[in-house]
Amino acid sequence: QLTPSSFSRIGQLSNVDLNEDIHELETEVPRQRPNEIPHNEKLLSLKYESLDYDNSENQLFLEEERRINHAAFRTVEIKRWVICAMIGILTGLVACFIDIVVENLAGLKYRVVKDNIDKFTAKGGLSFSLLLWATLNASVVMVGSVIVAFIEPVAAGSGIPQIKCYLNGVKIPHVVRLKTLVIKVCGVILSVVGGLAVGKEGPMIHSGSVIAAGISQGRSTSLKRDFKIFEYFRRDTEKRDFVSAGAAAGVSAAFGAPVGGVLFSLEEGASFWNQFLTWRIFFASMISTFTLNSVLSVYHGNAWDLSSPGLINFGRFDSEKMGYTIQEIPIFIFMGVVGGILGALFNALNYWLTMFRIRYIHRPCLQVVEAMLVAAVTATVGFVMIYCSRDCQPIQGSSVAYPLQLFCADGEYNSMATAFFNTPEKSVVNLFHDPPGSYNPMTLGMFTLMYFFLACWTYGLTVSAGVFIPSLLIGAAWGRLFGISLSYLTKGSIWADPGKYALMGAAAQLGGIVRMTLSLTVIMMEATGNVTYGFPIMLVLMTAKIVGDYFVEGLYDMHIQLQSVPFLHWEAPVTSHSLTAREVMSTPVTCLRRIERVGTVVDILSDTSSNHNGFPVVESNPDTTQVAGLRGLILRSQLIVLLKHKVFVERANLNLVQRRLKLKDFRDAYPRFPPIQSIHVSQDERECMIDLSEFMNPSPYTVPQEASLPRVFKLFRALGLRHLVVVDNRNEVVGMVTRKDLARYRLGKEGLEELSLAQT
Amino acid sequence: AEELAEELWSAGLPGDLPELEPECRSLLAAFAEGSAALTDCLGRRARPVRLCQGCHGHYRHLLAQYGTIARAIGNSSESHNCAKSILTSDRLQIVVTLSEFFNETWEAANCANCLKNNSEGLSNSTEEFLDLFNKSLTCFEHNLQGQTVYLSPNNYTEVCKNCNETYTKLNDLYNHLQRMNRQGGESGHSAHLCIDVEDAMNITRKLWSRTFNCSVPCSDTVPVIAVSSFILFLPIVFYLSSFLHSKQKKRILILPKRIQSNASLVNIQEKYS
Repeated sequence: QLTPSSFSRIGQLSNVDLNEDIHELETEVPRQRPNEIPHNEKLLSLKYESLDYDNSENQLFLEEERRINHAAFRTVEIKRWVICAMIGILTGLVACFIDIVVENLAGLKYRVVKDNIDKFTAKGGLSFSLLLWATLNASVVMVGSVIVAFIEPVAAGSGIPQIKCYLNGVKIPHVVRLKTLVIKVCGVILSVVGGLAVGKEGPMIHSGSVIAAGISQGRSTSLKRDFKIFEYFRRDTEKRDFVSAGAAAGVSAAFGAPVGGVLFSLEEGASFWNQFLTWRIFFASMISTFTLNSVLSVYHGNAWDLSSPGLINFGRFDSEKMGYTIQEIPIFIFMGVVGGILGALFNALNYWLTMFRIRYIHRPCLQVVEAMLVAAVTATVGFVMIYCSRDCQPIQGSSVAYPLQLFCADGEYNSMATAFFNTPEKSVVNLFHDPPGSYNPMTLGMFTLMYFFLACWTYGLTVSAGVFIPSLLIGAAWGRLFGISLSYLTKGSIWADPGKYALMGAAAQLGGIVRMTLSLTVIMMEATGNVTYGFPIMLVLMTAKIVGDYFVEGLYDMHIQLQSVPFLHWEAPVTSHSLTAREVMSTPVTCLRRIERVGTVVDILSDTSSNHNGFPVVESNPDTTQVAGLRGLILRSQLIVLLKHKVFVERANLNLVQRRLKLKDFRDAYPRFPPIQSIHVSQDERECMIDLSEFMNPSPYTVPQEASLPRVFKLFRALGLRHLVVVDNRNEVVGMVTRKDLARYRLGKEGLEELSLAQT
Repeated sequence: AEELAEELWSAGLPGDLPELEPECRSLLAAFAEGSAALTDCLGRRARPVRLCQGCHGHYRHLLAQYGTIARAIGNSSESHNCAKSILTSDRLQIVVTLSEFFNETWEAANCANCLKNNSEGLSNSTEEFLDLFNKSLTCFEHNLQGQTVYLSPNNYTEVCKNCNETYTKLNDLYNHLQRMNRQGGESGHSAHLCIDVEDAMNITRKLWSRTFNCSVPCSDTVPVIAVSSFILFLPIVFYLSSFLHSKQKKRILILPKRIQSNASLVNIQEKYS
């Protein structure tokens, strides 16, 4: 059997002469490639399926929609708002839970280690403190990593790439399950407490999405509980809308940025966006930040103060003291360039690391060991840095949470320790707001360097943790350094408040790594609570994105690609106009007749080589005419439900069927349809006939063979399709375009490239 | 104008004139004297800081005087109340400004923290602390007698040895006070102790660890380097071993069913399938 060595031929075709091409192929082909290749970025995994954003408009659906009158539709609308409110409240509560637990556990850990260090500083034997710190970190991270690696691997990482895929229309297995939520929440608490260079903000987005998906369905399959509510929303279309609300609520809870949350959802799932939905999403975000705010205010003892809107609070930037002038704009742009370059470097390093991890560290035990090693090394690096630092600052009140004296004089603390010996969120806020002179340049430089590599090494481990806070921290450190050196270089003529530059550096670094645009600007603005900085932040992010995109793509996109997800970008690759639907589609397609033999259906569904999930339905008796024209489209899941309920023509004729199948039966099976193997069909039943005309979607979208790839792509992306049937001029089925057929064309370094399908 | 006013006054006219009644005038004078005394006290006790100990009487006094002025509203008739004419009848409102300044200074110094609840005298814990502080200073002096300050640091060993006990006590008491303060921190006070105590502790600590160089921590660099290099070495071993021993993950390619537009490709496919 031939392996697809035809791969990447498209790219060659576009610039190489045809004859030469053929010649080249002939020399290449006899050397057969092995069927197994090491994992690389140019693959599409088979395990990902598409979501059905497009409703199957079959007779059952139409009947039900007709039965619902105007008032009932209003109830549905009210239910949507209620669900959004609940999403907001629950997301806020989960965020509070994470925050409070992390604060207490991390406080406990740092107090224990601090007492130990204080004790051994006087007596000698600091190596024991180091061992204690490293062991504590490693053991906490071990627990966090074990639950992720062995129970729910999809909870690893920040979850933003997964949610991005989900909103894009890819069904990632297990991504919105309750189990994932539990593992995610516990995992993130453990990895932050374990002192890894991670944040708890990114996972909030994932948590919010899971909550949304769970609530909107009114049941939990993991707990086997069905509350018999919200049954109307049990389909992909509605679920995905709610998931976007959940993602927004998550962002909103994480950063206290309701508008930023809405824009995040909009940016990631933009093609399926309408005003009503946006308004609802905004409602969910508002409720989420409000809930977090009120619960945390009660927890902190000043009830109803409502002054801590997010998990991370950048503190108040006094705009009078920290205003900016026109002369500083070029400086900000320069910082954007630096951020872009550093971000690209971060991503490139992380790319190699992730590739290595996928290829070699794929066993759960190895993943756990790796996470433990990273935790131990993080503690060691922190300790050694603190040990070597001679930067002592006087203690002023209680601004430092855990002042470590170590070798400083009495009444002073080690300033490296404020950066390393603290949770990353607190360190960021310290870097923004500590008065000028709290850190000396050497400390900041060393910290930036070390933390850069640690954060880069940490992202992609099998622990659930986000990359937002580490990026902000790296950026804040070099930004502060930049601010200090600026006032030093100009001999104080630019009196620069280092806090302002720390903020810009943080924005630049974050923009350089994740490459989000609009939503990130608004998130930063809302988190600082300062609209004045809107313009410089925007400039910085824009520059960072442009510079970074010149080298490599954003971290999230990179990870999506490395996971071999069929992700559809905004538009088709620019040079793909030469391709037509004929070349893109899969053919031949397995078609079903309108009245089909049950045995055939079972065989088709059991056949592993027909991996499509939708089957075109054609006219059943081809004797009258030669043309078997397209009549509709039916999904695998629908067929399975039909087989399960044994909706056969013969049984109907014998009045064996008690009732007609309703849409509810399909919904009850959603979203986990049983596999075909679990459905028993007897030998007699195989001879029965099944009438699909009532259940198929009679008006599927079709394109002619001559349609260009960009046109097909647009249709697919804008309507959120799953299957697009390609027909000839007699309405006969020629082929079918699915998400994977489109996603495999990608614009690479040398023009258009084609990805291959692989089993992963 | 003054003559006119006096004339009007003697004429018994109830004029709304920009002039002070005699009792208001005396109130103002008392306030002026009080603030002068407080300023004097604050200035003199700026270094080393003894503000709270020395000036709390003056401050309380001034506060009372201000209170009298402000409360004078009820005592006089509507048109002639002292509070109105002293406090709010001009743009500058110097009395208000002065009193605000003193209040703010007092707040910033956090003096309330080391005074008794009724602000009369120092609180017990502060007395105790200052006692110990004086004791340690005496100890320092006692042990330094006959020595000049310019001696090399090595010769302070005597001080370090003899005063260690007092210093440790003082340090512990200070830390204890700080902890107590932080726990009761929600009840209005900020996390600082009062400036007198803070400054006293600062002076002592500086003397102790900078001038006398008494707190020399044992630095055990060799074991720390050994342990940390061991831990840093582990990941290298881990990655190398997993690179060499772990089986590389392979992906199985799947041939898509597709029309090959290029004629030659179709040929190839037929040949090999």
